[in-house]
Amino acid sequence: MGSTTSYASAVAAVKAMESALLNYSDMEQLISAATDTEFNAIISARRGSDASAGSELADAWEVVHGYAPDCRELEMLLYKYDFHNLKAALKAMIADCEPEPYYIRPTNLDLGELSPILKAKDYDLLPLYLRETAEKAYQLLTDTLDGQLADSFIDTATLTVLQDSAEKSGNEFLKNYARITAVCADIKTAYRCARMNKPRSFLEIAIAGSADLDKEALIRAALTGTDGLFNFLDTTIYGEKARLLESSTAAFEKWCDDEVMEIARSARLQAFGFEPLAAYYIAARAEQKNLRIIRVCKECGADRETITERLRLLYV
Amino acid sequence: MTNIGIALAVIGAACAALFAGIGSAKGVGLVGEAAAGVVSVDPSKFSKVLVLQLLPGTQGLYGLLISILMLSRIGIFGGNPAELTLSQGIMFLAAALPIAIVGLFSGIAQGRAAAAGVGITAKKPEHNGKAIIMAAMVETYAILAFLISILLIYNIAI
Repeated sequence: MGSTTSYASAVAAVKAMESALLNYSDMEQLISAATDTEFNAIISARRGSDASAGSELADAWEVVHGYAPDCRELEMLLYKYDFHNLKAALKAMIADCEPEPYYIRPTNLDLGELSPILKAKDYDLLPLYLRETAEKAYQLLTDTLDGQLADSFIDTATLTVLQDSAEKSGNEFLKNYARITAVCADIKTAYRCARMNKPRSFLEIAIAGSADLDKEALIRAALTGTDGLFNFLDTTIYGEKARLLESSTAAFEKWCDDEVMEIARSARLQAFGFEPLAAYYIAARAEQKNLRIIRVCKECGADRETITERLRLLYV
Repeated sequence: MTNIGIALAVIGAACAALFAGIGSAKGVGLVGEAAAGVVSVDPSKFSKVLVLQLLPGTQGLYGLLISILMLSRIGIFGGNPAELTLSQGIMFLAAALPIAIVGLFSGIAQGRAAAAGVGITAKKPEHNGKAIIMAAMVETYAILAFLISILLIYNIAI
């Protein structure tokens, strides 16, 4: 019964914590909140006195990871931040400044050690999935001093490593997560590159490709401009959603986040396995994003309808 | 041949306690894991999840009862074992198999169902009863096997 009943304790704990996640009714109340005090009171009322109930994303990760410390699959959810932190450390090193303000948490990396490792070029001390990218990105950055190119290289490596790791795990949840993450990132990159008339050499570095969107075909389409790109995407299952970019980048990004949430929601019915843990973390991430959206929109004086439109799908 | 007969009957009694006990241990352990996870977040749910944890424990009790009945029937407890033929020994062994095998698998299955039910209790404590009912459904088959084992034990002519 080993693998089929794994993480029983962690899953049960996470299910207990799910009741502290904000629901649509809470979001409505938050949108209506007149003051920051009222806003915070609504959140506190939902979470009760339990500070561990995902008050911050890093806290949510600590809780999930604390219940399943040996779960390698969960770490894939943080690859995005690991590679971002690599970017931050490399750029800070080149610019001779402190990387700390640019780091994102949670992360799988020991951030205190990251800069010294990169400075010493001791890449073997980095996690396996990061080594090759770190070495090549450093080379690229020092050779070209082109921060955008190095950024694109690392972003692409993030998607490639994520997809490879998910494929190796053989887990459908992770494969779907990696696929939709790569597809969304590639469509956004291709669209921006098409608008900015970026050359093929840049696109080859910036586009990762995936099982759903062939890299070469996407590059060829992006080189023909935005119309050509959308025409190509129309031949895929992402055509209609990609066209959201024509009217609003925010709408497309919402769709991307909602797709990830749909994958997370597929784990709601599972009583065992790491998937409900991953889903809880994704839910906490979406909740944080929604809180940020509401706060920023309210500060900007956005109306209720605009805020509601931008809110991401919730887990509960 | 009388020694073999009694030996087979004793093996049957041991199997009833052993396999049903293993099933219960696995089931109770699994639910215990899940329950501990919930209690670590919300200790007030202890009593609700405890009921679920107890459910897969019954198979072990059924196995124990069958084992005691069988040992009693063949006179082991009285210190005067009955003289059993080979076929009688095989019949006693067969009588133990329903609860031994069904107890093993139903204990594990009930543990899985109850552990999943712990998730219901964690999220919606007011639906705890439904979680108990769903896990208790598995018990039916353990009870059927228990009854058959009893009927067999009492209907073997010695």
